[in-house]
Amino acid sequence: MQFALPPRKSPHELPGHHSTRLPLYRRKQLKTVAVIGISIFAFLYILSHIFSSSSDSLSASAGTAGVVIVTVLDRQSFSEGYISKIIANREDYAKRHGYTNFFASVSDYQETVGDAPKSWALVPAMRHALATYPKAKYFFHTSPHALIMNPTASLTSHILDRKRLESLMMKDASIVPPNGIIKTFPHLKEQNTDLVITQDSEGLRSTSFILKNGEFARFFLDLWFDPLFRTYNFVKAETHALDHILQWHPTVLARTALIPQRTLNAYSKDSSGASPNGTYRDGDLIISFPACDKAGTRDCQEFHAYYEQWLKKVKGS
Amino acid sequence: MSLSRSPSPHRGGGWSSPGLIPGSGRSSPRGFSPMTRGVKSVSWTAAKAKSDELHKYPSFATRSDGFFSRQKRKISAPIVQLYRQSPLSGGSKFVIILASNVEGGVMEWKGAREWAVERNSIRNKREYARKWGYKLEVANMLAKKRYSHEWRESWEKVDVIREIMRKNPQAEWFWWLDLNTWIMEYGTSLQSHIFDNIDSHVYRDINEYNPLNITHPPPQFYLDELARAPTGDGDASSLHLLLSQDCSGFSLGSFFLRRSVWTERLLDAWWDPVMYEQMHSQWPHKEQSALEYIYQSQPWTRSGIGFLPQRRINSFPLGACGDDNDPAFHYQEADRDFVVNMASCMLGRDCWSEIYTYRAISNDLNRSPWDGVSEQIRGVRAKIFGAPDEVD
Repeated sequence: MQFALPPRKSPHELPGHHSTRLPLYRRKQLKTVAVIGISIFAFLYILSHIFSSSSDSLSASAGTAGVVIVTVLDRQSFSEGYISKIIANREDYAKRHGYTNFFASVSDYQETVGDAPKSWALVPAMRHALATYPKAKYFFHTSPHALIMNPTASLTSHILDRKRLESLMMKDASIVPPNGIIKTFPHLKEQNTDLVITQDSEGLRSTSFILKNGEFARFFLDLWFDPLFRTYNFVKAETHALDHILQWHPTVLARTALIPQRTLNAYSKDSSGASPNGTYRDGDLIISFPACDKAGTRDCQEFHAYYEQWLKKVKGS
Repeated sequence: MSLSRSPSPHRGGGWSSPGLIPGSGRSSPRGFSPMTRGVKSVSWTAAKAKSDELHKYPSFATRSDGFFSRQKRKISAPIVQLYRQSPLSGGSKFVIILASNVEGGVMEWKGAREWAVERNSIRNKREYARKWGYKLEVANMLAKKRYSHEWRESWEKVDVIREIMRKNPQAEWFWWLDLNTWIMEYGTSLQSHIFDNIDSHVYRDINEYNPLNITHPPPQFYLDELARAPTGDGDASSLHLLLSQDCSGFSLGSFFLRRSVWTERLLDAWWDPVMYEQMHSQWPHKEQSALEYIYQSQPWTRSGIGFLPQRRINSFPLGACGDDNDPAFHYQEADRDFVVNMASCMLGRDCWSEIYTYRAISNDLNRSPWDGVSEQIRGVRAKIFGAPDEVD
């Protein structure tokens, strides 16, 4: 290659001999210029900081704690009374901890979900919550068939606190119990997690999970809601799609903390399919009634008993 | 297309994720008696073991964050950078990935012309890379023939890119080139041609040229502002994939990927067994069609993708996208186009003669005065001593 141009040197790479040979007065001049420059820069920086922080506080409407509780209600099949109980339960919890509620309706996403089972609505609803509260830090999905039973436990102290989450995370655990091939990463760290979720005896459960706001959240929800997953005829629709995604897509698995069922999604004692030690005990944050999902709320006797129990708790505190 | 499993889902039965129950890889729905289809089923474990064996680098891993490895990284990082970063051009930020042995090898006999294409194409990229201090990685697709026995046929591109990214931690941008391409202008650096000023070359709103008629921005009301913005955040630093479109859609004969979390996600989402199973017969261009699909179905991808006008990185010869010279697609000598891609030359055209033609044009255009002199000397010498044999 005899006619290749010699590679050009960029001016930055020139040896810096000149500066050392500058006359003294020149150096002094430079010094003054530098001092003035730096102080102007610092002033502008402080100014911009003041203004940007004030605009931040204006748009940060998602409660003081930056947590949004997302509950998707099926207003066509739930009774008015049932819906008002769920709303009361969430509102009490939000008020205590400075969280914000985002109640979505299945019917809003009907067109988007299409022919797939309507339980898929939770995915666009989460995306909707992200769009509505872009400044919030966490999005906490709760099933419309679940009650928050420990109103005083905040999400931070109960789950999200660094040390707490670190101790809860199940590492090297099968995604599909008891012995699925794909397992959570053994050296996952709390600061690398964007999704906190639980499993029951059969697999992951999307009834309760926490998603950190950010690029991962948007990627994850878009992937989850891909039309080809909705048309695939998974036995458990979006739940099985989630099993599938975590097992085939390591970029999702690597950001996921699997925690024991009872910390986020304890099953009522009449429900089947709880993981070992996954059945509700007093003091647990959430009680979930997965059977109500199938049977419809009218037959859901267990729910009402626990609702009364919760009501007593709230009035007592 | 050899599929080792039948892709039809059972009506009403429903499926679980394929092939992740130990020792399975069966295609029948859960709770459904394993049907005797007489199809050889691929065990997922076996496939993975085989894949790990072939890959020097695992397809994905999280980094161990132990104290020692962290310290080691801290200590070695600046040294490596000092050593590797060529002070001359910043060329070490770029890696050219050239796919070789695509059609040849075990499955088909490679004739003299195929060898000539390969030899010349590699030399072309090597010369260009050397000139600007870029790294050239010739990816031998022969080793990936295993894919033809699995589902992932033709998705080896994704694995190759991942592997090369891991092998070249110093590099930021990775330029994929198909074998049947020719870099016409050795004097044009990637920096001056694209990267010094990405904004002025890229269009992010696909409506500017939209052969697939993709609805953009995505209209869903539940999406955030960024997803519904026609040009993403408008910041060049959020671009992770630069590609061009030809007359029929995305064109992946020549494209750029940036090392980033975004890119890792894209490479990860690009192939999915459940999507592939439903679509493989409707995706004529395999991974290219899959990318077009993902671009449409998953809004997160759009803000990271920038389109370059086709002729900036991917000019076509006549015969691809029509036989009449169309300056939207076809190489224009007067403009000194950068790269020619003999797209689909293996379908009824002659790859070698096209490469040969463009090589000659490139040589002619980039002739220096010294060339003329040396040619004359050679001519004189030939007259005296007789002409030497020409070798490709």
